[in-house]
Amino acid sequence: MPLTQEDVRGIADYARIALEGDELAQMTDYLNDAVAMLEPVLAYNLPDVDPTFHPIGDLSNVMRADALAPERDLTLAAALGNAASTRGENFRVPSILGEGEE
Amino acid sequence: MPQSYDTLSAEQIAAGVRDGAFLAVEVARAALEAVEAREPEVQAFIQVTPELALAAAERIDAARAAGETLPPLAGVPLAIKDNMNLEGTRTTCASRMLESYESPYTATCAARMLKAGCLPIGKANMDEFAFGSSTDTSAFHPTNNPWDLTRVPGGSSGGSAAAVAAGMVPLALGSDTGGSIRQPAALCGVVGMKPTYGAVSRYGVVAFGSSLDQVGPFGRTVADVAAAMDALVAGGRDPYDSTSQEVAPSFAAAARGEGAVPVAGRRVGLVPAFMEAEGLTPEVRAGVERAAAALDAAGAELVEVDLPHVDAAIAAYYVIGPAEAFSNLARFDGIRYGYQEPGCTSLARQSALSRAHGFGAEAKRRQLLGAYLLSSGVYDRYYYAAQKARTLITADYARAFEQVDVILMPATPHAAFRHGEISDPTAMYLSDMYTISLNIAGNGGISVPVGLGESSGLPMAAQLVAPAFADERLIAFAAAVERGVGGAFAAGVGSPEGAVVPVPGSASVLGVAPAFAGKGGELA
Amino acid sequence: MKELQEVLKDWEAVIGLEIHTELTTLETKMFCNCKLSHDDAPNTHVCPVCLGLPGALPVPNEQAIRSIVKAGLATNCEIQKHSMFYRKHYFYPDMAKNFQTTQGPVAFCMHGRLDLEVTGRGAAERPDCAFGEAEAQSLASASAGAVGLSADLSRMAGEGMHFGTGSKCAMSGAETGTAQGGPAPEAPASALAGLSGYDTAGLAVPERRDDGSYTVPIRILRIHMEEDAAKMVHVGGEEGRIGGAAESLIDYNRCGTPLIELVTEPDLRTPEEARLFMEKLRRIFVTLGISDCSMEKGSMRCDGNVSLRRRGDTRLGTKTELKNLNSFKALHDGLAYEICRQAEVLEEGGIIYQETRHWEPSHKRTVVMRTKETADDYRFFPDPDLAPFDLTDEFIESCRAELPELPDARRDRFERDFGIKRADAEQLAGDPQTAAFFEGAVALAAPGEAQQVANLVVNDLPAFLKAAARADADVVDDADAWLADGDVASAADTVEPAGAEGTSGDAAASSPFAAAGIEPAQVASLAHLLAGEAIASNQAAVVIEAMAGTGRDPEEIVDERGLRQVSDAGALQAIVDAVLARCSDQAQQYRDGNQKVLGFLVGQCMRESKGTGNPKLFNELLRASLS
Repeated sequence: MPLTQEDVRGIADYARIALEGDELAQMTDYLNDAVAMLEPVLAYNLPDVDPTFHPIGDLSNVMRADALAPERDLTLAAALGNAASTRGENFRVPSILGEGEE
Repeated sequence: MPQSYDTLSAEQIAAGVRDGAFLAVEVARAALEAVEAREPEVQAFIQVTPELALAAAERIDAARAAGETLPPLAGVPLAIKDNMNLEGTRTTCASRMLESYESPYTATCAARMLKAGCLPIGKANMDEFAFGSSTDTSAFHPTNNPWDLTRVPGGSSGGSAAAVAAGMVPLALGSDTGGSIRQPAALCGVVGMKPTYGAVSRYGVVAFGSSLDQVGPFGRTVADVAAAMDALVAGGRDPYDSTSQEVAPSFAAAARGEGAVPVAGRRVGLVPAFMEAEGLTPEVRAGVERAAAALDAAGAELVEVDLPHVDAAIAAYYVIGPAEAFSNLARFDGIRYGYQEPGCTSLARQSALSRAHGFGAEAKRRQLLGAYLLSSGVYDRYYYAAQKARTLITADYARAFEQVDVILMPATPHAAFRHGEISDPTAMYLSDMYTISLNIAGNGGISVPVGLGESSGLPMAAQLVAPAFADERLIAFAAAVERGVGGAFAAGVGSPEGAVVPVPGSASVLGVAPAFAGKGGELA
Repeated sequence: MKELQEVLKDWEAVIGLEIHTELTTLETKMFCNCKLSHDDAPNTHVCPVCLGLPGALPVPNEQAIRSIVKAGLATNCEIQKHSMFYRKHYFYPDMAKNFQTTQGPVAFCMHGRLDLEVTGRGAAERPDCAFGEAEAQSLASASAGAVGLSADLSRMAGEGMHFGTGSKCAMSGAETGTAQGGPAPEAPASALAGLSGYDTAGLAVPERRDDGSYTVPIRILRIHMEEDAAKMVHVGGEEGRIGGAAESLIDYNRCGTPLIELVTEPDLRTPEEARLFMEKLRRIFVTLGISDCSMEKGSMRCDGNVSLRRRGDTRLGTKTELKNLNSFKALHDGLAYEICRQAEVLEEGGIIYQETRHWEPSHKRTVVMRTKETADDYRFFPDPDLAPFDLTDEFIESCRAELPELPDARRDRFERDFGIKRADAEQLAGDPQTAAFFEGAVALAAPGEAQQVANLVVNDLPAFLKAAARADADVVDDADAWLADGDVASAADTVEPAGAEGTSGDAAASSPFAAAGIEPAQVASLAHLLAGEAIASNQAAVVIEAMAGTGRDPEEIVDERGLRQVSDAGALQAIVDAVLARCSDQAQQYRDGNQKVLGFLVGQCMRESKGTGNPKLFNELLRASLS
């Protein structure tokens, strides 16, 4: 069943991407085309095949020692340096619940 | 006598600096002059970094003056794809989202190349967040193919490939998630290698598909690519990348025909289904046959092999890739870094508009496709199927490599296409039909030029594929192809007359695209 | 609203807990080398990894994995050799990547169990009808899929859950099946049965003993490894609440702190059991040395899931999830309130909505935080940046070899070897420093005086610390909180627990008593004075205050202050005679049959002797004189 514009709006809301103007219609068309292109993979949902989530052969149990590495630490200036909004030593975001927007 | 810097291979530049034939600073200036002369037409870079290049060169010259042993690539100019962090530069990923982002740390791959003595000339253009096969989705500007400026260089590492093909740098770093090194290398007539997943650290490279991404080098000769590979794996596995593994720095030796991988007597697989695939142009097919003939002449035996499940690779890729991309790009919400929509009074609105206006169309498409594919109920159907297809494709390669040492196939179905020629995103995805299965399975591949297409006059390439962590075979066999299809370029490099300019329709190996060879960048 | 005891006669409360514990004793965060930080200036312990910078990659902390394996071994879990980290996506700025790295359907530790001994007043919360056959049925019908299990987990049901097959390593090869949205076509048939772990038929059903106490097994569904979130401060709203806040500030110091989440099966039936479970778990984790387990500082946090059903009903009711249960008292009182609230709603014919509620201790009520109309879709998938785990036998056994003596074993040993009361042994064994201090004092005490030492360590010393803390709030700032929670033995929670490998000597030295300048030898000496009735028991506090921080022998203090108890009948008889002469009315009342007045007369004698007379002897002499 193809995705409706309503479905796509829900996905976009979840993914925090506002779709504006014609974008919703275009995105709906795209997603339906793309999903149709994926159809061949469905034949591979075979019961006796294990999925490969990590293409790394037998590599497992990769861990590091519980040790400090001060050279990796960022200074406060470096940590905040790319943020558009800060307040003192903190990152800042606007009201989480909003004020009647939307 | 002045000599154009673009006639020198990376190896020759390093040797010249080491021997005192010229200073690293002179190389840096020549490179920057070449960039200045050629960049207006090619537009391979998002940011050129003369201060960093000159500073690195001065350090090398000082080290030499102090009698220190120079690192293996001392003085070699390098372009770095702009999804790789390098302190002191912006990392934009060719996106408005990161237009002014300055990373406070350096990617391991960039750090290792710099440690090997490379001079960082600039950050190369790319498809936005590496989503694409044309570099046209860069938010800043397209890059033009040095062989025909009306055409794309391929992508997503199009800026890296074009910078090498236009002779602005002898080496460049790219990343390959579905063919993003091999396809632009093929379209620009340079050598491009995707090593086995895990061979090169991904730490500090902005992630697209975490189980697919792999860093690799571009160069104009196989030997240069081999030298860059040695630099990338030197120092062992990266403790900052859980999926990285130890690889021996045996690539340069393999390029010289040393080590355990002579070509004579080895078996090279050809996949009949690939050679007869719909969409494969006759001239690309002829190019691959030329490579086969070269390997045959070098004493290899050609054998047919079958990869029965690779037809699922594109579909599997467009499940796994977007799913991982959605997840990896979720962090770009405009709070800690990146574009932030001004004037928003709620967090949700700020995030949604920052992402709507910070990302381009293809980045949004991939993320929404990924968010859909991971959603409850959908995930079971597609994601598991894709990861099971991955198991089967990996097993296909394992079986094939029981019969052969390497597999030879096309790198792309067609030569460079014109800007805007492929407008449908899903049609564009087919551009990677020959490269994608390696990202699914994880093993390495290399794209090596085989001459110009007889009808298009554009660069043609063949792709060699090896088993996981047998990447030195790629170098050995690609070197044999390079020698076999002409060897003219290899001979021409460094000749006082300048680079050999391939004659359209001839079978000579490619060098600097003719329109740019010798343009600016003279080395005294 | 009806009282809890009343409600629980008609209704069965089905309670499950989700307990998050930060591994505070580690040096570094879960996936990067940043120092663990509690009180430092904001955003000063961050790096590209925990700040989620583009290109950064995680590498797991081996010591954190060892810690969770130890936690699993100490709670009788099966250690799963094969497991993976997953990404759990939600857009909220406290997670720098907008996903949390956590575990999927298979956690490092699955299917554990702790037995709770419920005694005293708390045991009365479980009504008599909730034992035996009724309880067996109740257990069999409380499924993990319905309560006690967070929504996201229950939705992951089905992924490769091959439990019950007898295989210690639950996964064969890769994790198969689905992570979300119900079982895939090929998933094992009964996904939820798989998740609920194992057959309840084999579980011991609690029986009430004559003294009202009982022992109940509480199953642990899983303990998984994850990372903590950043701290957010909401500015401009009321009392730092999110509603009405104009902006929020984010400090990523805590982001990436190793966190283990334990999820119980819904086997708890009373708020007291929930509290005891939490206390017991805390004692185990503190003993393991994996966390400071401070509920006040938030390094141990608990959410409760609770639903009601009529006694005898096999269908589960709708559950609510309780947040802000940040002390043992809050855990008990919040659950008790919520049970009574739900009962009232149901008895009035209303319905319970599946929602998250916030316990407000100041108002003694729970309020709705948010309603869950649809399950959250966290879009779980295995984290491709993190290699899977295939723990070896050697790894697991090396963790097991590092396990210290656990509280239950220590309690049993104290009871057996020292002959002290079980309740005291339980208190002492629960805290490594206290236990070590106790053992140090017993070693120096005369034979047969262990109970006196126990009395001092369980009662008198904490009372002294508490008083001292009152006097100087900076010394032991949350002793009050712990004492209010009835956790006397761990009065000074601010002291870092010793590492698991720490010797008991180290542990004793870091006990709150040692910090207050009290030495085991002093305690042994004081116990000897008490055992020999050389001082009155009510003088112990005076001696403790005098000996703390001075290093002085209690014998010396007692003599110096004239506290030594007089047990010379001749000397005391004179006092008795004097008191009886002065209090002839009371003497007559006693003779008329009012036994109670004897206490008054003993008190008068004690006062007359300035507290040095032996009260037992006074008692005897008074009785003799009055007969």
